[in-house]
Amino acid sequence: MFRLNEEFCALANHCVHQGGPVCEGQVSGTLAPDGEGGLCYEREGEVVSCPWHGWEFDVRTGEALADRNYRQPTYEVVVEDGTVYVEA
Amino acid sequence: MSEQTARAVADLDVVVDCDAHVTEHQDDLLPYLDEPFASALATDVDDSYGYISSFYPSAGFLTPVNTGKAEGKSVRSSAEVREGMALLDTNRVVLTPTQNLYLGCVQHPELAAALGHAYNEWLLDTMLDPDEGLYGACVVAPQRPAAAAAEIDDRADEDGICAVFLPSGGVTPLLGKRQYDPIYEAAERADLPVMMHNAAGTMLLSFPNLFQGFDRYLSSHAPVHAMQHMAHLSSMLTKGTPERFDIDFIIQEAGIGWIPYFTRRFDHEYRAKREDAPMLEKLPSEYVSDQFYFTSQPVEGTGDPDYVASMVELMGPESLLFSSDYPHLDFDHSADLFRVLRSRLGETAARNVYGETALEVFGF
Repeated sequence: MFRLNEEFCALANHCVHQGGPVCEGQVSGTLAPDGEGGLCYEREGEVVSCPWHGWEFDVRTGEALADRNYRQPTYEVVVEDGTVYVEA
Repeated sequence: MSEQTARAVADLDVVVDCDAHVTEHQDDLLPYLDEPFASALATDVDDSYGYISSFYPSAGFLTPVNTGKAEGKSVRSSAEVREGMALLDTNRVVLTPTQNLYLGCVQHPELAAALGHAYNEWLLDTMLDPDEGLYGACVVAPQRPAAAAAEIDDRADEDGICAVFLPSGGVTPLLGKRQYDPIYEAAERADLPVMMHNAAGTMLLSFPNLFQGFDRYLSSHAPVHAMQHMAHLSSMLTKGTPERFDIDFIIQEAGIGWIPYFTRRFDHEYRAKREDAPMLEKLPSEYVSDQFYFTSQPVEGTGDPDYVASMVELMGPESLLFSSDYPHLDFDHSADLFRVLRSRLGETAARNVYGETALEVFGF
């Protein structure tokens, strides 16, 4: 489960690639083209990488950044009275 | 397209050989060489070393042509091109060089550019004849990208020029580097595809340590065409060359089986190493499928039609262009691959590989 400021997201912890513990991986941003021929770093905190092979996933949608044919299952997160619930 | 059933290559209306070489000699090029090299090379030195000189770098292979076991056929006139076309039942050719396959390794960059220019002059003056199906690729030297771009700009509207020929063998640094962008920009302006062709002997210059193990013509020639183009393709995909330029590339003479392997391997690794190629907006294999074509010769495994049909299906028959490589010693006759394609993948696929796709790629 991931917290982006006030937003919560939940992903399955079984990587769609080969079953690694994706949610235990590093949460970070990612390199992207800066539009002027160089690189920039963007989406800080919105990307989790599976520690087994380094596949990057969008923590909100579960989509693999490199290939949208792969998507980690996501779960609805509800916050009620300060308690966070995951709908599985 | 004819509705008539095609039972043999000769029955096709359109047969395009996408790799038909000329064999330009020193005597052909010298009259077209610009100054200062026209004067600098105007000597009376008798080349008494003869064919023995080809045994020494680069790359000094003892080949079946040198030993007389294979015929080193001459193609130095349009009449000689037509002899080959008649032999192979083709009716259009994209003429590509022989000596200038090594142009990318010429040490003197200004001389390299001048040699490319001279080749194009000779080709246009004596060879190309679109009415007779004789088209050609404009050779440029990667050593001087600005001069190459000017050469492309000058040739773009010449009758019969249907592609840019980038001699890719041994070219260092690899062809995804930004320094080559002027070449791609010019090709894009000219709306010409870029043909990339390795020369096996050039690996001597770029992979000297690897080459220590390649001490025979066979051990070098079999792997290095695919190796060279995997290296260039890796570089170009990683740096986003096909994303940044709306042009087609035609990779020549590396066989077919490595293509399904390479694209799947590259996609596989890209999924885990996407930050190395952030310019890409789709899978690497999609760029290959959309913007890269591969000429067929030498089709490996023709004795095993199941293998050939599988590889062509896996690489995508729409990416394959028939080529002969005639008159080089490992040339393919047009009949072999046609039989496999027609019987296993159907007549439409065979027609496409043998010419219909080339009509679109080269725009003729």
